[in-house]
Amino acid sequence: MTDSADLERRYSRLLAWYPTAFRREHQAEMLGVLLESARDGQRRVGLADMADIIRGGLTLRLRVPPQAPRAVAVAVRLMYAGAAALLATWASTVVTETNVRSAMLRAVPAQWHLMFAHIICVEALLPVITAGWLWLAWAIGHGRHAARVVLVLYFGLITLVLLWMLSAGAAVYAPADLISLAAAWLVQISAIVFVFSNRSERYYRRTGAGGHAQSAASSC
Amino acid sequence: MQETTFLILTALADSSQHGYAIMTAVREISQGRVRLRAGTLYAALDRLSAEGLVTVDREEIVDSRLRRYYKLTPAGVKQLAAEAARLHANAIAALSRLNLAEGTTT
Repeated sequence: MTDSADLERRYSRLLAWYPTAFRREHQAEMLGVLLESARDGQRRVGLADMADIIRGGLTLRLRVPPQAPRAVAVAVRLMYAGAAALLATWASTVVTETNVRSAMLRAVPAQWHLMFAHIICVEALLPVITAGWLWLAWAIGHGRHAARVVLVLYFGLITLVLLWMLSAGAAVYAPADLISLAAAWLVQISAIVFVFSNRSERYYRRTGAGGHAQSAASSC
Repeated sequence: MQETTFLILTALADSSQHGYAIMTAVREISQGRVRLRAGTLYAALDRLSAEGLVTVDREEIVDSRLRRYYKLTPAGVKQLAAEAARLHANAIAALSRLNLAEGTTT
């Protein structure tokens, strides 16, 4: 009995990966199915089950509602790809940090720390920017009108980061970071084209301005 | 249509089923090849309901736990029939061509 209670507690903790609305409707039912498929005396969640539960939750959270027009669905997928590119940029800044540092130090010993500070700043900001971008992709997919406005502001922010990197000499000292960020920028501008295309227009008018704008303040 | 989707719809083809029964039915239908887990199943059911292919038939409480039974909608029946016919036609074509190929080489 206590084994099963243990297992149930572990399963319900994992269900936090699912959207609240889904949990309200299906949590009890899903727990029943999970416990029914558990072995006798099982206390811990198996790795494969855990991966499957988490993947299911992420699928539900990231899914574009089926009533969204195709153009919006494409835009959201592009935004996810853009988020992946942002994450790749972040990974690149982390991995190449030492090389970039020594390249700058060698080339401009007088000002290297100032230039390097730019890169470090971008490195610190990118996870936050990526998280915000993912949230935006969700809001765009769910037809939030305000999200479209925030999207443009956000895109401006990423453009600024790109310019900032350029001004820090990223083209010379941190080419990998710059290429990866430029790729993210390109993916995102194409997402914007889809979001503002004629075919998407009606979707945002129908749902109205139900969204809440999130300011993308950034300072470093 | 993905195989998992096809198998879930097939599991619901003749009668309504609850989640655990769908999982065992899918395993049976695929002859043990596809082992559906709860996360995958519920993500699929959520999508299929949103697409109007599957709907909730009834609810029961068994051992103080909620059991929800799902069934195909008319659109779900239609889509499954169309997909089954397509797979069937493909399989027939493959088999007949294989026979033909064997016939020419031997």
